[in-house]
Amino acid sequence: METALGLTGYQATMMILVFAVLGLGIAALFLALFLPARWRPPYWVEFAFVVLLLALVWYGDRESAEVFAAYQAPLEESGVLEAGYDPAVGNFDRTIRVLAFQWGYAFVNEEDEISRNAAVVKPGERVLFSIFANDVIHGFNIPAVGITAEFDPGRERNVWIRAPEKPGKYLIQCLNYCGVGHAQMKAWLVVEGAET
Amino acid sequence: MASELDAVRMGEMPHWEPADVLGTMTLSNLLFSNDYRHIALKGILTSVVMLGLGGLMAMLFRTELALPDLQLIDARPYMSLMTLHGMLMVFGFIIPLVIALNYYMMPKVLGTGQLLLAGAAQWSYWTLILAAVALVIARPDFTWTFYPPMSLRVGGDLVWLGYVAIALVAVSEFLAGAVLMRNGWEAATRLGWGKLPLMGWGAISEGILLLGSTPILGLVGIVMLTDWLELTAMFDPARGGDVMTFMYMFWFYGHPAVYLPLMPAIAVLYTLLPRFLGRPVWSYWSAVIAFSLLTVLGFIVYPHHFQPAENVSGLLQRAAQLLTLAIFIPSTLHVFNWIASLWSDEIPRSARRAIPFKFLIASIFFLMLGGVTAYVNAQIATDSAFVHNTYFVPAHFHAMFAGFMANMAMAGIYFLYPYFTGRMYSQVLGNLHFWSWQIGIFTKVMMMYYLGYVYFPRWVVDYLDLPQWSGAQLALTGGAYLIGLGFIVFVVNMMWSASRGAKATDDPWAVDAEPGAGAAPVPAE
Repeated sequence: METALGLTGYQATMMILVFAVLGLGIAALFLALFLPARWRPPYWVEFAFVVLLLALVWYGDRESAEVFAAYQAPLEESGVLEAGYDPAVGNFDRTIRVLAFQWGYAFVNEEDEISRNAAVVKPGERVLFSIFANDVIHGFNIPAVGITAEFDPGRERNVWIRAPEKPGKYLIQCLNYCGVGHAQMKAWLVVEGAET
Repeated sequence: MASELDAVRMGEMPHWEPADVLGTMTLSNLLFSNDYRHIALKGILTSVVMLGLGGLMAMLFRTELALPDLQLIDARPYMSLMTLHGMLMVFGFIIPLVIALNYYMMPKVLGTGQLLLAGAAQWSYWTLILAAVALVIARPDFTWTFYPPMSLRVGGDLVWLGYVAIALVAVSEFLAGAVLMRNGWEAATRLGWGKLPLMGWGAISEGILLLGSTPILGLVGIVMLTDWLELTAMFDPARGGDVMTFMYMFWFYGHPAVYLPLMPAIAVLYTLLPRFLGRPVWSYWSAVIAFSLLTVLGFIVYPHHFQPAENVSGLLQRAAQLLTLAIFIPSTLHVFNWIASLWSDEIPRSARRAIPFKFLIASIFFLMLGGVTAYVNAQIATDSAFVHNTYFVPAHFHAMFAGFMANMAMAGIYFLYPYFTGRMYSQVLGNLHFWSWQIGIFTKVMMMYYLGYVYFPRWVVDYLDLPQWSGAQLALTGGAYLIGLGFIVFVVNMMWSASRGAKATDDPWAVDAEPGAGAAPVPAE
């Protein structure tokens, strides 16, 4: 997700919650093993714990739905998800068509130039990837911007990213097992500019 | 409050006369006997062999993955090893093993005295052996989830045997489900539902999961075969089929499938915990509710395996996310129950010494370690960032399969050992096995979580030499070797102690409490 990475924000909050619940559980287990004093926990402790879990479930569901809806919104506003999408009127700075195949990606930019190994963008741009595969199920993942998609053959899948501000080469990889060459299915997101 | 009724609900004590059942078995007993202990021992022995095979494969590809670049094995053999590792471990080792442990304990705990439908258990066993042989001959390289159309276009001429094996696995598991259902149901009607031991609730939950989900797996196997033979094209978009048909069908089995080893392992835990503590579990109904909720949720959350996708969106996607998050609740009810049972009174010295009790505690630890991350796995937004098909997913299920279920299965084997050999295991070797497994599994799981968090992809034989990847992969391989070492120690212990171990006492697990503590007072209801 565009906003997901970083030390603060949605993803970090969720990971902190995971560690907090885990810590609580492990502490309870070790206390149960080594605490000298013993008593029978009353039933209300479990009820209270279930209420806490319900709150966590509600919170996780709401946050995830909001973050994902916020991510999907630009796609829906531009009509990307509908047939006959016109890149000229969309609110993305750049549209790159991606053909995924066994085993690699072909990137077609707006000038219809094809690259077999690099998607070239400018720093901070909002880039739309329209991904298509003909053969088998593939994946599309850019670790640096935190986006992962799995897509079925014959169906277009659209994801968008905000390109990193720092010029350089960023990994694009397939995450879905797509045959024996899966490990080689890599490409680069190239952010133009003088490398510092 | 724990009551007399709670003690009744624990069922008959899992206790047999220690005897050398294993040593006195003849070949015909081993192959065809319908005696429940013979069937169960056959299942346990076979599962340990499968664990050895699956583990050996893991050692091979872990060695390859220790360093970037290719050193030892190429991509195709790597994927064959990976696929067979997954299939042998899940279908050959862990599911049959925990079911075999239930076969061994149910007739005693539920008071049936014999395994009902033992003939079906026999057929279930031999069908599974046939499936395993077919799989090893086919050497498929399409992973255990065999997504079409990829799986229709890889592998050699014999890969169709893999689809036959999948259908055979379905038949085998269906029969096992019938056995568990029959035994649980008989006990429930005889004792009354309110007095059915938790092992019976586990057997019925497991029976529902198996009987409901495996017919679809059988169908998937058959359709994969006819698709491969080009008689049909259900799953191949290039010929007019649809991948999503496969996704819905496969995961309708695939999600319950991960609960197939979970339920019997939980049932064994509920049976052993009171045995070692000398007191009933903290709450009977809490456990029953948790079993029921897990069974229901297990059937309806499966779209989370392939979302977000174009046709898993909107309300369906939101519902799958919410229900998946809700699995937190029954799982926590179980864990809470176990910890509360431990907390309620002294833990007897006898329990603290017992190797099976140690494995039981470790399995609770790993159930938490594997379970909590389900919180981020379930959420669409994190799933679309770093979870989906990175190492985060194998980390989650290895914590569950190896950390919880395999540890729990080991607890079951060590527990039953004096009953079927008449001798005790070696305490020193048992401790060595225990610690090498716990350190190994913990290292493995934590490294996998970390690698997943930094986007290490699943199913790759080779990877870039990135600083965040290489070190963790090396440590992960180290953890795997430790687990392998523990397995060797376990086998040596089992074989050596069977003839040289100390004779088991009348009750090897008698509760040896501190003066003034021990078995909890059981107040009136």
